[in-house]
Amino acid sequence: MECVLRPCRAEDCAEVVRMIKELAEFEKLPDQVEISDQVLREDGFANDPFYRCLVAEVPPEHRSRDGHTVVGYGLYFFTYSTWKGRNIYMEDLYVMPEFRGKGIGKKLMSKIAEIGVENRCSQMKFVVLDWNRAAIDFYQGHGAVDLTAAEGWHFFHLEGDALKQLARGQLGQ
Amino acid sequence: MAPFRIRKARPEDCPDLLRLIKELAKYEDMEDQVVLTEKDLLEDGFGEHPFYHCLVAEVPGEQWTAEGHLIVGFAMYYFTYDPWIGKLLYLEDFFVMPEFRGLGIGSEILKNLSQVALKCRCSSMHFVVAEWNEPSIRFYKRRGASDLSTEEGWRLFKIDKEHLLKMATEE
Repeated sequence: MECVLRPCRAEDCAEVVRMIKELAEFEKLPDQVEISDQVLREDGFANDPFYRCLVAEVPPEHRSRDGHTVVGYGLYFFTYSTWKGRNIYMEDLYVMPEFRGKGIGKKLMSKIAEIGVENRCSQMKFVVLDWNRAAIDFYQGHGAVDLTAAEGWHFFHLEGDALKQLARGQLGQ
Repeated sequence: MAPFRIRKARPEDCPDLLRLIKELAKYEDMEDQVVLTEKDLLEDGFGEHPFYHCLVAEVPGEQWTAEGHLIVGFAMYYFTYDPWIGKLLYLEDFFVMPEFRGLGIGSEILKNLSQVALKCRCSSMHFVVAEWNEPSIRFYKRRGASDLSTEEGWRLFKIDKEHLLKMATEE
């Protein structure tokens, strides 16, 4: 089946939000999605965009059961390592279930890898949930190394009230 | 004179930044992994589209620079994106020279970073910590940070350039 990868356009944001929600459902964390079409558009199409996105599109005759032709996306951005310099971070990689097994995920990831190489990035980084065996196998098959297991890196966040308290110079939970 | 001052890094700070980066790498037993140069830091941090931002902590010290200051700490950060909630501030590196700890420099840097995060409408500050680094884990947890690897099962992965090239060029 023919599938074209192209940069996301502003008018694709509604479709990308749909798929972001589908991915969150799969990751068993749907209540955490607060993003809207408008915010995604503002943040992705600003002067200095906060993210970049590729979408996978199929011709109309192959559209999904629900009538969608945008069937996958890869959302990424550039990060920096004080040891090695520029990196590329793959934040989301998703293909609608009915379009899996056709190499679309691999195509998206390869394109992001290519963009990384073109921009002199030393590494690609991303996170995966520990129970997502299918994804872990897929990534390890492409040379990915689990740094949490190998080097003990844990991912932390500081948000909400804790962040506000810190900004006021206060300690506390 | 104030014991220390936090300010935005300037292009001329790059040699000091690299010095501190190497000191931190040494503390993590990874000194030989630092391949970054002053030129990289300059190009990538002070060009038209910076890849990172930096705060530095300086203390007065007559024997050092012409202005009489020594850079004793830094924090490198950049903006990332969570498709569920939007903009985030990512803290890449955070270091204060051992002989200048206990003055409140770390806390002040973190306070500054939090203010930047809120001003830029970031929902959260993210970072990684090595599980053996108990002092850092305590430092961050005291300030309300949560370990998402433990709580939600997120594991950090990397793919090196060699494999990126392979993926990028194979049919």
